[in-house]
Amino acid sequence: MKIQVNARNRTHLFETEAGAGEKILHAGLMRGIALPYECASGTCGTCKARLVSGDISDAWPDAPGRKYLKAAGEFLMCQCSATTDVVAEVPAFVQLMETGSCVPLASKGCIVATQMLTHDVMTLDIESAEAIDFDAGQFMLVGVSEVEGMRGWSMVNFDRHARLLRFLVRRKPGGVLSDWLFADGSRTGAGVDLYGPLGHATFYPSLGKDLLCIAGGSGIAGMMSILARAEQDNYFERHDGNVFFGVRSMKDVYFLDEFTRLRAQCGNRLAVTVALSDEDPPDGLDDEYPLIRFERGFVHEVAARQMQQKLANVMAYLAGPPPAVDASIRMLLLSRVTADNIRYDKFS
Amino acid sequence: MQKERICSATDIPDNGMKTYEIKGVKVLVANAGECFYAYQGLCPHQDVCLDEGYFDGSVLTCHQHLWQWDIRTGEAMGLAEAPLEKYEVEVSDGELFVVQSSALKAVEMLKDVSAATLSRLEQLAKREEYDEGAVVYEVNDPTDDLYVLESGRVEFTIGREDRTRLAGFMLRKGEVFGWAALLEQSPRRIAKAICHEKSVLLRIDGGAMLEVLEADPASGLVVMRRLSELIARHMSGPQNG
Repeated sequence: MKIQVNARNRTHLFETEAGAGEKILHAGLMRGIALPYECASGTCGTCKARLVSGDISDAWPDAPGRKYLKAAGEFLMCQCSATTDVVAEVPAFVQLMETGSCVPLASKGCIVATQMLTHDVMTLDIESAEAIDFDAGQFMLVGVSEVEGMRGWSMVNFDRHARLLRFLVRRKPGGVLSDWLFADGSRTGAGVDLYGPLGHATFYPSLGKDLLCIAGGSGIAGMMSILARAEQDNYFERHDGNVFFGVRSMKDVYFLDEFTRLRAQCGNRLAVTVALSDEDPPDGLDDEYPLIRFERGFVHEVAARQMQQKLANVMAYLAGPPPAVDASIRMLLLSRVTADNIRYDKFS
Repeated sequence: MQKERICSATDIPDNGMKTYEIKGVKVLVANAGECFYAYQGLCPHQDVCLDEGYFDGSVLTCHQHLWQWDIRTGEAMGLAEAPLEKYEVEVSDGELFVVQSSALKAVEMLKDVSAATLSRLEQLAKREEYDEGAVVYEVNDPTDDLYVLESGRVEFTIGREDRTRLAGFMLRKGEVFGWAALLEQSPRRIAKAICHEKSVLLRIDGGAMLEVLEADPASGLVVMRRLSELIARHMSGPQNG
C-alpha cells in the first residue's frame, strides 16, 4: 500500500507490505523516516496521526495510548496498518533519520536460552536471523506467534552487528506473554518476531558528560547496555558514572556479581548503589559485596541524597516503572538538571 | 480576544498555576511570585494540559516530553521546539484580566527585535481574513509580501497542475510564510498557499519591512539570522520519494 504522511515541514512517501499487517510506523521507520514515537507499542500516544484518506486496520483498538487521541480520525501509527492506500497527517516536523542512525528492521529470531535471576525476573537470550546494529539504551519489539501483539524490551548487552540479543523480562501478574514465557517447561527453541532497534534514550561515548543511571526494577536492562558500551570505551577513565538500581527487597535484586566486575574493571569513578525500598540492607552485605553500596529508600530519593553537588555535568538516563521514572524526573528538574540532559523512553 | 476577567489574584498561590477556559480556549495562568503570566493552556507539542506539568516559579515544564519554557517570555528552552502563545496580563483591584497579544509578538523571527521596530512592523501589517479554500498565492506569483499566521491553517503544495504534492502546513499563531519576500534573488513563489480553514493572516510588504530593518541594523541582523535558521530547517535532509 502507498502511504503518504503529511508532516508540518514536508510530505513523506513510502509503501507497506499489502496484507502483511505491517504497521505504518514500522514501515516508515524502516525507510529511514524519523516518524515520532516513543514506546512503539501502543501505550504512550506519541505516534498519533490523523487519517486524511484511505482505510486502516487497528490491531489493538483498546490500546492505552488511545487516550491521547482527541480529534476524529486520529490513530496510533504503531498499531495500525493500511488496508488501502493511505494519506495521514502528522502535526510535527518529520525529517529523515540522521546518517549513522540505527535504522530498524524486521527479523525472525529464536529463543536460545533463559535463566531465572530471581523469583520473577529472567534473562531471555534470542538469536536473530539478521545481524542487528543498535545503540546502547535501545529496545526491540518482540512477539511470539502464541500471543497477540509485540512487547518492547531493552537489550542488556552491547555488541555491533549483534546476532545474540539479551533481554530482561519480569513476570507480570496477568501478562499474557510473560505467563507464556514463565510457564512450566522451557521455551528454548521457540521462534519469535523481532522489530527494532527503537528508542531515543541512547548513549554514545562522545557524550562527554558524567553518567547518571536511575533504574527501577527491570529498567536496569538498558543501563547494562550503556555500561557495557562505556566499559568498552574506557569511558570511566574520563568521566564519573553513578548507577542507582532500585528494587523492593533483597529477594528482588540481581546483577550484583556483574556490578562487582564492572566496578573492579572501571575503577573508582564508577559507583553503583542498590536502593531497597521495603527493607533495610541486611547485615553482612557490605562484606559480601564491598564494591557496591546498599541503601534503604526509593531509588530517586537515594539518588537525590547521593548526587547532591554532583549534578552539574550529568546526562541522566532513566528507566523503570512509570511512577519511578516520573519521580526521578521531578527530582532532577528540581535539582536544576535541564530537560535536555534527561533521557528516557516513555512507556505510559 | 477582548480583555477578559479570568480570576482573582489570590486564586493562584505563589509558584502555582491553574487553567481557565475563556470562550472555549484554555489559558494557563501562573503566579511567579512578583508577577502573573498567562499562556496557551495546551502544550504546542501534543495538546497536553500544561497545568499537569511542573512549575518552579521560573521554568514551566510539560510532564509529557519535558518541553520547557521561560515563564517570563514563553520562549522555548531545552527540548521545546516551539514557544508558547502569550497573553498580556493586567491586575486591577486584585482581579486578573488577560488580553490576547498581537501575532507579531509570537513570531520566532522577531523575538529579539527592539520594541520600536516591532511597533513599526505592526503598523505595516495588514490584517486579512481568508475563507476556507482561499488561495493566498499561486506558484510563480511575485513574492512581494510576507505573511504571519494569526489563526487558522495554511497548506502549501508544490508542483504543477495535477502533479502537485503537499509540502507542509502551518497552524500555529506566529508562524511565518512567504518569507521569500525578504530575499533578493527569489522573485517568484515556488509553492501554492491555500487556507485549509477560515484563517486570519497579517500581511507585510517585504520591501517595506527590509527598510524598517535597515533603520535598526541590530534588529535587522537578528531577523536575518533567524531567517537563515528557518531556511536551513526547511532544507535539511535529502528529499525522498
